[in-house]
Amino acid sequence: MSASRTTGARLSGAAGMNRRDALRLFGLGALGVAAAACAPSGGSTSNGGDTKAKNFGFSSWSLNEEASKPEVQKIISAWESSHKSKITTTAFPYNEYLQQLTLKLNGGEIQGAVHLDIAWLAAIAQMGKLKDLGKVAGKGGYTDVSLKSGQYDGVQYGLPWTTGSIGLIGNQKLLTEAGIKQHPTTIAEFEDALRALKELKGVTPYAAATKVAQLKDIFPWMQTFGCTILDGDKVTIGDDASVDAVEWYKKLHDEKLIAKDVDRFDARALFGQGTVGFYDDAVIGKGATLATAKEKGLAEQMVPVPRPVLKSGDQPRALLWGGVIAVVEGEGSDAATDFALHTTSDQATTVEYFSKLALPPTTTKGLADPKVAADTFTTDWTEKITKTATPGPFWAYAKNAQIEEAVAKQVQAVLVGQASGKDAMKKAGEEVSALIKG
Amino acid sequence: MTTAEAPVQTVEEPVRPTPPPAARKLRRRPDRIRSSIAAWTAVAVIGLFGMLPMYWMLVTALSPKGQAFQFPPKFIPTEITFEHFRTFAENEQLFDYMVNSVIVALITAALSVIVSTYMGYSFSKFRYRGRKSLMNFVLASQMFPQALLLITLYAVFRQFGLLGTYTALVLSFTTFTMPLCVWMLKGIFDTVPDALLEAAAIDGASRWRTLHTIVAPLAAPGMIAAGLFAFVRGWNDFIFALTLANKDTMTLPPGLVNTYIGEFQTSWPALMAASLIVSVPVVAAFMFLQRYLVGGLTAGAVKS
Repeated sequence: MSASRTTGARLSGAAGMNRRDALRLFGLGALGVAAAACAPSGGSTSNGGDTKAKNFGFSSWSLNEEASKPEVQKIISAWESSHKSKITTTAFPYNEYLQQLTLKLNGGEIQGAVHLDIAWLAAIAQMGKLKDLGKVAGKGGYTDVSLKSGQYDGVQYGLPWTTGSIGLIGNQKLLTEAGIKQHPTTIAEFEDALRALKELKGVTPYAAATKVAQLKDIFPWMQTFGCTILDGDKVTIGDDASVDAVEWYKKLHDEKLIAKDVDRFDARALFGQGTVGFYDDAVIGKGATLATAKEKGLAEQMVPVPRPVLKSGDQPRALLWGGVIAVVEGEGSDAATDFALHTTSDQATTVEYFSKLALPPTTTKGLADPKVAADTFTTDWTEKITKTATPGPFWAYAKNAQIEEAVAKQVQAVLVGQASGKDAMKKAGEEVSALIKG
Repeated sequence: MTTAEAPVQTVEEPVRPTPPPAARKLRRRPDRIRSSIAAWTAVAVIGLFGMLPMYWMLVTALSPKGQAFQFPPKFIPTEITFEHFRTFAENEQLFDYMVNSVIVALITAALSVIVSTYMGYSFSKFRYRGRKSLMNFVLASQMFPQALLLITLYAVFRQFGLLGTYTALVLSFTTFTMPLCVWMLKGIFDTVPDALLEAAAIDGASRWRTLHTIVAPLAAPGMIAAGLFAFVRGWNDFIFALTLANKDTMTLPPGLVNTYIGEFQTSWPALMAASLIVSVPVVAAFMFLQRYLVGGLTAGAVKS
């Protein structure tokens, strides 16, 4: 008898259940278990536990990174020994951090203090798990611009740990060689400076972002040309100013004043070889560029340059950049709040952190400390660029990344000649409006 | 009925002089050389395409930090350093990640093979209601985007308190390896003649014994191929390991990203050195088992 014909017997039993019924029952049971497991945790605004507990968690991407890990660990160890408590650390890579944090915060796995990029604050605050730190923020002595970076919807959800901006960095040696005596302040002067730099052999005048991943750098230029990008809930991308900005970018591209296929990493690598006049970076980018630079003495040649304006008297635009420490409501949240305040505002701690990582403090006292003030690059940056920096226009939206990508793709279409500035910006505006509504 | 006989015609074939063997060889030689050149060119191009990324990994791993980032890049490094390999060896945490990877990948491979063997055998040699539906159901799980399943699996594992355990990693990896393994092994079991099973039954062997002592040895190459596939899947996974593991159970892929890729800097030379080192076990496994892999993957392709 063939084995293939030996099976198929019905299950017999007291209940008279056949195999098909058993399978159905099993399927329903499995569905039930899965549904129970996947059920939301009740939309709680707290992750539960004793808020007065001395032990708490701390999540940060800095706990992974070669440069910052020892310094952050030092702060944690000092807190643990002085407060006789235990801080449980969690770390994810920067690029995966938001996704992991969102998932695990929702799952109730994340407790205590959480390090957040200011661009993510709105998305995390909207989950309703963060504590309002308004009462303690006043004790920190933070600068206005720093304090604002930790706010969403008028509530202080984060205490500012680092506040900087993304602006232009210039290579003073090349600028001098090109005969540029003063840093350009207007778009017209900037174009002249780029053309002068182009005359130098092997030099990319402006290593602006031209890859989709970093083309969000177009936003400050759009603002420079007068586009508000967002007016209330109305998207203004597609107006004349945004079209002018993109067509200007295209002009730089066609004249080879900016290069093809460049992102932040490429720009740093090129700048590090002393072959770039200007590029966009955050204040901390100096350290990252120098770490892999071949050009000797480059550190002294790096200068912060306020973004040129359309007409004299306009305010230079820059994108705010930095990190805050927020606190999750629930287990250990009181101690985590104290830890966040200490880490971000204690004079000795913040100055030590600055001296090791070049991340500027966020307090008035910290910025005035002689050790910080002696670093002219940082003080110039804070004074010339960060002072007028503004948050990303779409940070408040959970689909921020998709919005930035939608605009970036249209800008790239203009750069490669697939679309006109007007058509591309109209399409970008429509896509962004749809993403905001969705 | 009679048929007219067709006149028999004998057509004499023109007799061609048979060239001597040496002359035949000479005439074929240019053809052979041409096809040889074409074949070798194809092999060289495909080989270059496949090996270039590996070569570039090696070059980057051996380059000092400054040189690795120079633009335009140098195809042949002018300076060589083993510093990045040394830093990998000195990092104890990476060793822990490696141990975790070995444990998780091996258990995933074993579990996938065991479960898939029974399922594949059942689908191949037994006929019962719901068999085809079950087979399609198993295959359907491959059709969901992994990110979607990640959220579901995360919620299920959280509910059962399995987050941060090897069990969560092994079960999630097996979810993805099993469908292909089941179908691969079913194809292989299909090639085992029923007569063999009937003979075993006549000789008094139970179904259990038939599978383990007669069918399984015949399907061994397929089982090894399935195990190797599952091992590689478990070894390489990034996003599930990152989400479901904790500090103590973290495997190599997220561990390497954690260690070398930062917000502002990526230690490419060190990352490439580490990647080369961690690929050694997989390459060794492939080299050791490649004859089974090829045999196993093609065994179920043709039914007798």
